[in-house]
Amino acid sequence: MLKATVSDRPDLFTWAFLGLGLLLLPLGLYLALSAPPDVNQGYLARIMYLHVPGAWLGYLAFFVTFLYSLLYLFRQDPRYDRVALASAEIGLVFMGLALVTGMLWARPTWGVYWTWEPRLTTTAILFAVYVGYFLLRGAIEDPELRRKAAAAVGILGFINVPISYMSVKWWRSLHQTQSIDLTTGKIHMAPEMLQALLFNLLVFTLLYLGFVRLRALVAALEARKEEA
Amino acid sequence: MRRALLLALRDLRLEVRDRAGLLSVLAFFGVMLFIMALALGPEEAPLRRAAPGVLWVALAFASTLLSTRAFALEVEDGTLDDLLLVPGGKEWVYFGKLLFQMLLLLPLSALAFLMAAGLFYLPLEKALPILLTLALGTLGYASVATFYAGLLARLRGREVLLPLLLFSLVVPVVLSAVRATAGLVEGLPLSEVASWWQLLAVFDVVYLTASALLFPVVMEG
Repeated sequence: MLKATVSDRPDLFTWAFLGLGLLLLPLGLYLALSAPPDVNQGYLARIMYLHVPGAWLGYLAFFVTFLYSLLYLFRQDPRYDRVALASAEIGLVFMGLALVTGMLWARPTWGVYWTWEPRLTTTAILFAVYVGYFLLRGAIEDPELRRKAAAAVGILGFINVPISYMSVKWWRSLHQTQSIDLTTGKIHMAPEMLQALLFNLLVFTLLYLGFVRLRALVAALEARKEEA
Repeated sequence: MRRALLLALRDLRLEVRDRAGLLSVLAFFGVMLFIMALALGPEEAPLRRAAPGVLWVALAFASTLLSTRAFALEVEDGTLDDLLLVPGGKEWVYFGKLLFQMLLLLPLSALAFLMAAGLFYLPLEKALPILLTLALGTLGYASVATFYAGLLARLRGREVLLPLLLFSLVVPVVLSAVRATAGLVEGLPLSEVASWWQLLAVFDVVYLTASALLFPVVMEG
């Protein structure tokens, strides 16, 4: 097997992403809290600045898991698997954030914390798939089989991401459709709000990159200990 | 493809000769239906409304008993490696096993439908569209189940792990199948149910191609 030396400490990039993310986080919150209220929802709409970046980063993280799972299966290099693992874990955190903020948002606007409408259901399924991903990893002893099985879940499970994303368009759903539509490139949002949202998205992305690098490093150290 | 067919027919013959596996699945399914019929009460309306969900949940649980059997005998007899060593591709092993699973699941789900129809007042005049839904649903289910059964074939404790993995991945299939069945039971026009069928077909195609492509990769080594 290829033996790459693993440094014990996070490298410069990891520190840079994490530091910048943490530094800009208060600024993002300030922008979010000073953004103009929504016409219909008033100040309630401000939860969007956590909800939307959380969901996006969740999707992105699972896409990265998908990509690195594919890479792992075709290259058989454990490093890819570690990135897939790290991304899935951080993605789960961001998806959880999106779910929780979504519930907090749903209560005052829809009157309930949870309802079984397509967007919520598909997102909950997505969440369950990646919880399953970690259950699987915990259940298989043999490292190689564990990596292969996890990669398979990472690939097959990803199909839920586009479904979840498109669910608001495919079904008449309670959840509103995208304000920034990635499939058509149309934006239905006031510029001030958009600015705050995109800034928060940037902050979240920085944090995501930092966390994934950190988690992959931890996974590498774990693997080294397992081998020793 | 001839090889896949041969493999499926051989497995089917072994399975039918053995009988214990098939009978236990049927018995499990029957008991589950009884329990749920009892739990949901004797009135017709709630039973009728619960029917699509009950049918699919019972079917999904009962089928996990079958899915581990796809590769169980190969591992017991040590013939899995022989199969994988046959020159020229490994996809046919997957397709053979999938075909075997489908050959078991299709009659089983038809039987299951009849049992559920008896206990839960499913409309028998809708049998054809419901059978189509069953066929689409079981195909999606079996394509993932067969893939994972192969992947976990050599693992101890696979009987526990397989359902765990399978359910999180087949939830979209089961969900759209339930919705399609519910639509049929409620008497919606076929054109409205068709969108669920389309979705089911999309899941089937995606899961099938992804599994068939990944199978040779994960079975190596």
